[in-house]
Amino acid sequence: MNKLYRAEILSNKAVGRGYRRMKLKAEGIGKTAAPGQFVMLRVTRNLDPLLARPFGIFSTVSGNIIEIVYRIVGRGTILLSDAGPGDELFMLGPLGNGFPAVRKNAVPILVSGGSGFPPLYFLASKTRKRAVVLLGAKSEDCLPPKDVIGGFKKLSSQVRIATEDGSAGETGLITDLLADVLERRSMKGEPVVYACGPNAMLCAVSMIAQKAGIECYVSMEERMACGVGACMGCSIHMNMGGYSRACKEGPVFDSREIRWKQP
Amino acid sequence: METTVNRPSMWVDFAGIRLKNPVLTASGTFGYGEEYAEFVDLNMLGGIIVKGVSIKPIQGNPPPRIWETPSGMLNAIGLENPGVDVFISEKLPYLRKFDTAVIVNIFGYSVEDYLAVTERLDSVEGISAIEVNISCPNVKAGGMVFGTDVDASYALLSQVRKRTRLPIIAKLSPNVTDITVFARAAVDAGCDGLSLINTLLGMAIDVRSRRPRLANCTGGLSGPAVRPVAVRMVWQAAKAVNIPIIGMGGIVTGEDALEFILAGATAVAVGTANFINPRASIDVLCGMEAILSQTGAGSVRELIGRVNQA
Repeated sequence: MNKLYRAEILSNKAVGRGYRRMKLKAEGIGKTAAPGQFVMLRVTRNLDPLLARPFGIFSTVSGNIIEIVYRIVGRGTILLSDAGPGDELFMLGPLGNGFPAVRKNAVPILVSGGSGFPPLYFLASKTRKRAVVLLGAKSEDCLPPKDVIGGFKKLSSQVRIATEDGSAGETGLITDLLADVLERRSMKGEPVVYACGPNAMLCAVSMIAQKAGIECYVSMEERMACGVGACMGCSIHMNMGGYSRACKEGPVFDSREIRWKQP
Repeated sequence: METTVNRPSMWVDFAGIRLKNPVLTASGTFGYGEEYAEFVDLNMLGGIIVKGVSIKPIQGNPPPRIWETPSGMLNAIGLENPGVDVFISEKLPYLRKFDTAVIVNIFGYSVEDYLAVTERLDSVEGISAIEVNISCPNVKAGGMVFGTDVDASYALLSQVRKRTRLPIIAKLSPNVTDITVFARAAVDAGCDGLSLINTLLGMAIDVRSRRPRLANCTGGLSGPAVRPVAVRMVWQAAKAVNIPIIGMGGIVTGEDALEFILAGATAVAVGTANFINPRASIDVLCGMEAILSQTGAGSVRELIGRVNQA
């Protein structure tokens, strides 16, 4: 159920590579949140910046506490980084449709590009260490913070890293890693891809999954105003024709449903 | 010590429609009510102006469709909607369950489109009024083409007038030099009320990619940034005509809403604020009541158009 909260900030700590981890307390939020869902946060009480920002839920700490991990990229996140313990933020959520539950016989392959990892971290925590995690970024300083990578290692069977410039992990694209993992087929069970990251990467991941004939679920990003399906701003072009709303029908879609814009 | 405060009387008569209070939700910012029902008791609203409907379903514009601006936002949704038949069969039955006025915003790409939607809506129960959108800046044909040409808007509105028994409200474009000319044309065409303002045509550019921020290049500016423009236009129009006005443009608080009432609006609509706070409409209503109580006003009606001019 969607709820409007005045959420209390419990902590808001810098964790390296430009990221911060923020714990937010709101009655019952952790009980209903599912991997792939998000919250809308207003970063100020003032009217500028005006709109709330969407944040994928990183983890549920308890029934009343969730955690988000965000990168400081613009005015909104700069303001958010100034907030401290005890401060209150308007929060709406959990919103949207998350990832479908991981089936017992499936091997989840979690593919994160850039700062797309938070919803996949939440998903990894529900996979009983069966997930294969692939983390890609342009360079080392764009990877998830070290403690998050450490967390992924504890939550999954395997973590592989690729950077385009080779400054960390294997040199190349995340899609190279995915192709390699699928080619080896060393895992027991049916692979299912869950991906979050920039649109071009999601498109490429989706094409690889489609060629390999495996299921692929993507968490889509689009500019959003309301988060509840009213503004029609966050439209995703669908194969069926027309648009779906990332906030309402998404943000997670079966990748075959999306009309990808080939780069 | 407890004090008893008389709650101000909030009902208003808008073109023969008795609204329990003057707070409506603006078209395109409140879906078809359902989207907000888990946050707002829709029975508390004076009315709901639903997202614009057209004779056929419309896909809308490609993304990006929105861009945040200082205390505002640009949008170029492109009037995405499921069409009037789906509205009547799937959305209206839900809305009719609530004790609130349902005002249906309509638009088209041609005069024939507008007339067909009007006739279709005239044939069903549960609608309080039709708001004719002659001011959408985000579609190539229709929309603002009618709203910025006074002859075309008169011709369209007088034809719509002939096709329905329902009160019609013309939603005017602020993208004109003299709003009073369009307000008078709406009166001459037989309109029962006015809504103003729709969004202001705007644009934003990404200086690094050198591309417009919106796929549609231009979009409509809304939010608190436009409020002074909207208050001014309501004030000008209210002096020029004798039909009631729904004032809107950047209303976030009860104080904002009362500015419009004092400028001459009989009712107000909360728009973009719904996006930043799903309970904004109720907050506006409570805020209005609080200020009226504090200032000793017995009713909201006694403030309509009562701005003191120096």
